[in-house]
Amino acid sequence: MRSVRLPGFLARLPRSHLVAGLFLLAALLYPVVNPWNPYTQGVALLMFLLAIQAVSWNIISGYAGYTSLGHSMFLGLGSYTVAIIALHTGLNPLWIVPLGGITAVIVATLAGFVVLRTRGHAFVIITIALLLAAQILAVNLRPLTKGSDGITLELPFWSKDFQNIPFYYAFLLILVLTVLFSAWIRRTKFGTGLIAIREDEGKAAAIGVNTTRFKVLAFAASSFFIGVAGGVYAYFLTFLNPLGAFAILGSVMIVLSALVGGRGTLYGPLVGAFIVQLINEEATVYGGGTGTRVLIMGLLLVLTVLFLPAGLLPTVQGAWRRRHPEQVEYTDQTGAIGRPGGPVVTRDRALAELQTVAAEDALVAGEPLLQIKGASKRFGGLVAVDGADLTVRKGTITALIGPNGSGKTTLFNLVTGGMQADAGEVWLEGRRIDRMPPWKRGHLGLGRTFQVTRLFNEMSVLQNVVAPLPDGRWRTMFADAVSGAEADRARELLDVVGLARFAGQRAGDLSYGQQKLVELAQVLMLEPKLILLDEPAGGVNPSLLGRLTEVIRELNARGITFLVVEHNIPMVLGLCDPVVVFSRGRPIAEGEPEEIRNDPVVLDAYLGDDWRPPAAQAPARDRSRPELSTTDRG
Amino acid sequence: MAQLVQALVLGILIGGVYALMASGLTLIFGVMRIINIAQGAFLILVATVTWFLWRETGIDPILASVITTPMMFALGWVLYRTVVSRIRGQSASMSVLLTFGIALVIEGILNVTSGNKFRSATPAYFEQSFTIGSIHLPKPQVYGFLAAVVVLSGLYVILTRTWTGRAIRATSQNPSAAALVGVSATGTAALAFALGAASSGVGGSILSVLYPFFPASHYDWISRLLGIVVLGGLGSLPGAMVGALVLGLAETLTATYGSLRWSTLVFYLVIMVVLLVRPQGLFGARLREDGVAA
Repeated sequence: MRSVRLPGFLARLPRSHLVAGLFLLAALLYPVVNPWNPYTQGVALLMFLLAIQAVSWNIISGYAGYTSLGHSMFLGLGSYTVAIIALHTGLNPLWIVPLGGITAVIVATLAGFVVLRTRGHAFVIITIALLLAAQILAVNLRPLTKGSDGITLELPFWSKDFQNIPFYYAFLLILVLTVLFSAWIRRTKFGTGLIAIREDEGKAAAIGVNTTRFKVLAFAASSFFIGVAGGVYAYFLTFLNPLGAFAILGSVMIVLSALVGGRGTLYGPLVGAFIVQLINEEATVYGGGTGTRVLIMGLLLVLTVLFLPAGLLPTVQGAWRRRHPEQVEYTDQTGAIGRPGGPVVTRDRALAELQTVAAEDALVAGEPLLQIKGASKRFGGLVAVDGADLTVRKGTITALIGPNGSGKTTLFNLVTGGMQADAGEVWLEGRRIDRMPPWKRGHLGLGRTFQVTRLFNEMSVLQNVVAPLPDGRWRTMFADAVSGAEADRARELLDVVGLARFAGQRAGDLSYGQQKLVELAQVLMLEPKLILLDEPAGGVNPSLLGRLTEVIRELNARGITFLVVEHNIPMVLGLCDPVVVFSRGRPIAEGEPEEIRNDPVVLDAYLGDDWRPPAAQAPARDRSRPELSTTDRG
Repeated sequence: MAQLVQALVLGILIGGVYALMASGLTLIFGVMRIINIAQGAFLILVATVTWFLWRETGIDPILASVITTPMMFALGWVLYRTVVSRIRGQSASMSVLLTFGIALVIEGILNVTSGNKFRSATPAYFEQSFTIGSIHLPKPQVYGFLAAVVVLSGLYVILTRTWTGRAIRATSQNPSAAALVGVSATGTAALAFALGAASSGVGGSILSVLYPFFPASHYDWISRLLGIVVLGGLGSLPGAMVGALVLGLAETLTATYGSLRWSTLVFYLVIMVVLLVRPQGLFGARLREDGVAA
């Protein structure tokens, strides 16, 4: 939004940004055009305040999907911080409002470290508890907060003629900063990671997203501008007490705003906040007391959840799209035009550009890359993996075959960190990894695909491939995910699997086989040394399967090692070497495909008589055994 | 010494009442993975109704649960059938928001119809106590505890000895398997929600005697109940019992040796420490979705 000189630039700007810009212009000019309307200004600045809170809330609860019911706590924290410091130092509250934001961030970070380390329901519960605890603290810490009596601040230093116009602009400024902040987060890999967490947290961890750090950071980010606004708000009110500063109704209105407008969208919470604040204003003017407002907000919340769960903006957008369907572009224009090398990029070229970390190791094939030593995992009385030893050597495509329920997928989970082993060790390139969180293992070069694909369905194909983080550096985390090097690399990887033209599609709309290929491209973004493929051929049609095998071979030629679980025996015997046979939680045989094919132990445990060499075949065979079905998933 | 024993016994008495109040919350979570934020509002609704019954008819507040329990069972059933069941299959956060909305609606209605003021039912035994040696046990606490024990035992019998109870437990362990053997998931969920609401019938009646309340008190109560179930492990009934006893004891001990003003904060402190050390709670197994669903 730097320049307005080019009409073409304006035309290319998304319509939503254009509308937002026009609105901002109107909001900036309003007090100048109509300075003598304090009531409207008062209503408007409260709308800005609620919008600041709703847009901030959206970062943790919209993007990352962790609902907070206590977000008004940060407003209170900001108010009290600024009021107490102003009271003791005599500084004007307005000059120290950033301190309010800092207090909010500190509290959010500490609370986040406690409750956001794990997944699940504890977070929403703690947010309510925190708000109420803050209320009690503010009442009880009398020396600091003056308890229930509250703190009275000095009146604004400017002449009464300016009314609340300075506050109006202060809140507007914070609102603009908040929206820009939220938009920036959404563009970075941090933002993509947050949405990945919302869609599938386990998968996000598997592609290198440090979920704990992301969530805590998102919670902290969602608190800062509310804290700053709280400081301004305290000065605006010139009085604050525990019940008013840590109001639960405030939290309700924040949640309601985001929900009404559309949680997870950039402008939804803003639009929602304006609507909710107007309703609140009308309810105060015509309806009377707090009771009525609580009733109205509660009813609104119930009705929104039941009948408008996606929110206004997404619903309207959806209706608009249905009435004005766009031609779907099946060519990857941005990718083709944007690349400096020229318009056409062939797959070979893309493969050549694929710089894998593993490449330099390719020549030292034969050394152990992954070593599993005595790994065990039991579920209650069931022993899924039973003291398994397995070594995957550099440069190989190692197959892991065996009957359903023999513990192959559990072994994968132990290696990638989806589950903790009860006993045993896992080593990757001489480093012990079995105590590391999944993302750390991803950063070391371990990638996996899933038996049933786990793409982030609501994201585009390109976003899916941009999402993984190959390392834990902050620079990577805040790299631009929408354009620039990361997005270019993701396009190249889509080229590698031959799906570049689907870059803009919603991942959930692709066919199952295509999703498997996208998941492979996603893993490649991790710059892996070792990729674990869990039944890559399951449910994939023969022609896609051909491409898949080809891609695996090409990648392997460039130094990536594979460990493949697969039931499609012809594919395994043609592609992999060596082959490891798993049965009852541990390997029972290992060798070249030919050896395995003739090993009586393997024939007995898994392959069955069908694979016995013709000479040795018994004349009467039992054909009813189902082990070779390719669609069978254990 | 006597002071300590007195505090410990009081803590257990309060813990028993807390256990009853939290049982509904954990039952509903166990069966349908919904955190019913409205459970606190149910309690306050019952307390208000009990207060009016007591004042108008003179009926004993705790005995009034004979009327309020079926009332809450019906309310829970209707609420589930008409509102809560509509969001089945949506994300967990939507159910939290919905029940939060229901809580607000109840608070708003109470506020508008009965006024925003503190109430407390004060039957004749309100200020009397049983004295054993040097220990004084307030009669309301003792009666409340006994009522809680009776209701919890009843709930236990329903869950373990009746077909309905087995259906509820089956659904909470594996909804699709339960459906396959002929247990209607919706019907069971409605029953569980109604039972959970009904448990606040006795809980709210006891509350009306033991604690002063006003419409917005439900926040205070829901956060206590949530604390208890987080401590015990979400969805675990024995966990809720233990969590309730621990927090009841923590509260009375702080009130005895520290100050009353800080006793509620102890709740939140305990929760934070537990989450830090053992995120799944004392009795909670790690939920299956915590692992990789491969």
